[in-house]
Amino acid sequence: MSMIELPSRQRPLTLLAIVIGLQVLLLAFQIKRDHDVRLVRVWAVDILTPLQRSGTWMISSVHGVWGHYIDLRRTSVENDRLHSELGRLQLRNRELESRAVEADRLATLLGFHTANPNVQMVAAQVIGANADASSRTIFINRGDQDHLRKNMAVITPEGIVGKVVEVYQDTSQVLLITDRESGVGALFSGSRTHGVIKGMSEPYLLMDYVINEEKVTPGQEILTSGEDQIFPKDLLIGTVVKSKNGNPFATIDVRPAARLDRLEEVLVLLSRHEAPNQRKAEPEVAPVPTSGAATPSVATPEKPAPTTTPPPVTKSVAKPPATTPEHP
Amino acid sequence: MNAYAHAEPNIEVHKFYGGTISVATFLALVLQAFLNKYGAWVGFLELPLLITIYFALSRRNPATGLLLGGTIGVLQDAVSHTPIGTYGIAKTVIGYMASSIGSRIDTEHPLARAALIFLFFHVHQAVLTVIERALLNRPVAFFSSKLLIAALINTAAGLLLFPLLDRLRKPS
Repeated sequence: MSMIELPSRQRPLTLLAIVIGLQVLLLAFQIKRDHDVRLVRVWAVDILTPLQRSGTWMISSVHGVWGHYIDLRRTSVENDRLHSELGRLQLRNRELESRAVEADRLATLLGFHTANPNVQMVAAQVIGANADASSRTIFINRGDQDHLRKNMAVITPEGIVGKVVEVYQDTSQVLLITDRESGVGALFSGSRTHGVIKGMSEPYLLMDYVINEEKVTPGQEILTSGEDQIFPKDLLIGTVVKSKNGNPFATIDVRPAARLDRLEEVLVLLSRHEAPNQRKAEPEVAPVPTSGAATPSVATPEKPAPTTTPPPVTKSVAKPPATTPEHP
Repeated sequence: MNAYAHAEPNIEVHKFYGGTISVATFLALVLQAFLNKYGAWVGFLELPLLITIYFALSRRNPATGLLLGGTIGVLQDAVSHTPIGTYGIAKTVIGYMASSIGSRIDTEHPLARAALIFLFFHVHQAVLTVIERALLNRPVAFFSSKLLIAALINTAAGLLLFPLLDRLRKPS
């Protein structure tokens, strides 16, 4: 007696279905389809695959809901960890960016030195600035042991920076050209008219001792004249910003070529015999006049005669022992 | 359960001497294989089908009819090259249909027999074609002129065979 009682009229139909079903199964076991796979296996895969796919989808959905909306304990911990990691990586990124910028600067210095193999120079790192707001000085990490001496020129590839005023064992103090006590023999790149660049303890420099009749236009370049016996001739000092007539000399504001407010590496010239190729030397237009007051010192000179220049420097400045250029 | 429960009360259920169905089935299968050697026209004959139709109509019980048809079909598969179940399914369907119809109408008249044989032959071939197309993946046509000729031949053969088989019935 079967467990399920079927109505008597349905019994033959059920039996028919069973008998046909069994024979279809029998056929499916015998018939082989492509790749020699039995038909029953193909059917089994066809039937089971959607079920498995649905099951997998349901399980992954439940798992996703649980993981994304319910079980957030690990997410919170991971979030904290990722925040911490992000902060660390941001710091690291800033450090690397800083190093990249530093590498660029050093590459510029190296390129500058490579372009001037005959000029003895040493690279130095700026390690401090002045403590006095009225003065413009910096400290560099080179000193007596690196053969630095007073009055040596300090430059960057962009332009001159200042001169060494104090030398210690392994550091030196540099007076910037913007300092009120600073003065540099200068000339216009085009007309070769001489003057003196003075610091004003301000961002701009003042070119003094130029007569009012001198034609001065903004953007004009100002070069070192070499007469101060500090800086070699024809180094770029800066460019004219504006000019106006004064009494008795014109008032000419000059923007320093070197970024004096953000110095990090500088070059100290150990010798002044050869000027570095900071810029292409202008052709000499006239012999340097010899009359007038000289500006041999970096200290602001006593008012020299307008448009006159000091006598040619003898270039007999004490020459420090040549050393192999180094980088900080 | 009474096997004859849904036979119509006015329709007579025929019984046969013991072993009649088995012997008839055996002879049909042997003759089917034997006659195939003697001409292409013999290939049209479907003696196992005729045996199935006759006994299913006579017994008038769907369960018996489908089991009988299934058994004859599987045996036919066994002695041929078709996968076991091909003729089995077809003759199961025929056995069920024939016995179902036989329990409702009188199938003793020659015209009724001829019509039923003709009909069942086509149903049998249709089921075979469905199996071949769906399971064996063979592009077999559902209908052809040969099929019509075969149906006519089998109808004629059935009209000759059935009166002979009637003689094997037990007297009522």
